Amino acid sequence: MPNRSLLLKILSAVILFGAWEIAGRVPVSFAFPTFLESMAALVRMTADGTIFTAYAETLKPLIVGVAISTVLGIAIGLWVGLSQFFDWLFSPIFIVMQAAPLAALIPLLVLAYGIGLTSKVLVVCIMAMPVIVLNTSSAVRNTPESMKEMGRAFLASDTAIVLKIIIPAASPVIFAGLRLGISAGFIGAILSELKITPTGVGDIITYSRSIADYPSMYAAIFSIILLAVLFLNLLEKIEVVLFKGNQRGYVSD
Amino acid sequence: MKQFLRKAALAAAIPLAVGVSAVGAGADTIRIALAETPSDELAAFFVALDRAKANGLDYEWTAFSDEELAIQAVLSGQMDIGFGTPYAAMQRSKAPLRIVFQLSKLKFFPVTTKKYSKLEDLNGEPILLHSRGGGTDSIANVIEDRLGIEFGERSYVPGSSNRVAALLGGRADATIIDLSNKNKLMRSEAGGNFNVLEMFDVEASDEALFGNLDWIQENEEQVGIFVSALASVWQDMHDDPTIIRRETNPDGPIGQLPAEILGELDGFYSDAVEAGLYDPNGGGRKAAMADMEWYSAAGQLDGDPSTLNIEDFWYLAPLDAAMN
Repeated sequence: MPNRSLLLKILSAVILFGAWEIAGRVPVSFAFPTFLESMAALVRMTADGTIFTAYAETLKPLIVGVAISTVLGIAIGLWVGLSQFFDWLFSPIFIVMQAAPLAALIPLLVLAYGIGLTSKVLVVCIMAMPVIVLNTSSAVRNTPESMKEMGRAFLASDTAIVLKIIIPAASPVIFAGLRLGISAGFIGAILSELKITPTGVGDIITYSRSIADYPSMYAAIFSIILLAVLFLNLLEKIEVVLFKGNQRGYVSD
Repeated sequence: MKQFLRKAALAAAIPLAVGVSAVGAGADTIRIALAETPSDELAAFFVALDRAKANGLDYEWTAFSDEELAIQAVLSGQMDIGFGTPYAAMQRSKAPLRIVFQLSKLKFFPVTTKKYSKLEDLNGEPILLHSRGGGTDSIANVIEDRLGIEFGERSYVPGSSNRVAALLGGRADATIIDLSNKNKLMRSEAGGNFNVLEMFDVEASDEALFGNLDWIQENEEQVGIFVSALASVWQDMHDDPTIIRRETNPDGPIGQLPAEILGELDGFYSDAVEAGLYDPNGGGRKAAMADMEWYSAAGQLDGDPSTLNIEDFWYLAPLDAAMN
């Protein structure tokens, strides 16, 4: 049955949205809309363009932050993984970053970097980068020694060993880190819009809540989750194209 | 096996018993949802709570990080009575929420750099406000409406003190801030660099006490004690603002605040009473009418204010009883 996974996906979506609809109809709270009301609000916001203007604003810190985290995160991760010295120098910073209660530290970021794009990009980076760096470095460190030895036996240069052995071997874990990092980046983007200044999707969420337009509020939250899921699926496709044959079962679409 | 069954039955019975006793306690204790952590602005409210307690009101309070969460907690029934102005929630959601007491009025002040000297000068100029759909945003809407001007780009920075910091840092030229921050700024050394622009009087509510109508009617007696205590404190404060500091329980949440804040309580409440922040009559019909007009103009309520019914938004019986 070739379409079994598709069927299962549709089934789980139906169960989830059905439960949402029932919970909204009971209702569990007067502030909780039904699934259909929320979807109607989403269609309305899409039709009048609100959602696109909002995403134009939200995607700025998200894309810049995720791009910086990906490039810098993988670069630093490789470096940390390859050299004991850089491991000692950088790892503690990222471990602290990962453990820090970011929402509580936002006032400090605002103090230092103002209320503009810089602070928001930083929130995204602080959420996304540690996972990417730490995953990349541990993946690099755990490259099978026998593979590297084989490379050296065939007189490969150091660059060739990194590019042709270490990176492909580490790719599944690097991509696992990227997936986690980018989801964290989405969380960071919305967090910054709720906690620093309400713009974009964060603005739709706070504004709809303040005028008690709960369907729009949940529609905005739903749209960001949908976007994150679509983006993660895209990332998976990229992984398949770039490192065919290296996936080791981390992939679950 | 028998022993195991007995243990299992005990394990099941304990949480059940605890649950039942918690519900038993919950029936008498009213749960109050505060929209912010206790601060100087809530001192009068806590004095009223102490008076209500002396008259037999059993309460517990929970501070939420913002008004919307407090409203949602009351909407979902996790809290009995809350802080805020949930007009939009009352009209749009099917929840029967009603306001019983006006805690404070929307007294906010347009403060600008010396570039501007009257509200009309702000036509087309950018302005810094609290949040979209919030109180200062509604003030800006009504200013536009009444003066026939239109502000330029609105940016949003939550918290009056943060907007003052933006003014001082030169990142904004015009904003709308609350009474205590306006006074702090204008009395500081930097005060000379700023203007407070003349504005019309606003009678509408900033914070009000509200609850679920069914719950209010079931607990009429307790709500009555609470509203009477609030009305008595608001009236006494009107005659002598220093009673708030004198009556503050040193072991309560306000009494535990730093000495610098407690030292400024007299100043804060004298200023507030002078500026008319608190209505000694608890708002009532006058506030309800003002609110419906205000929140319609501000875009939180739909429909013509003259067609709106006070009884759909306020439950006046406890306040009427307290006033007699």
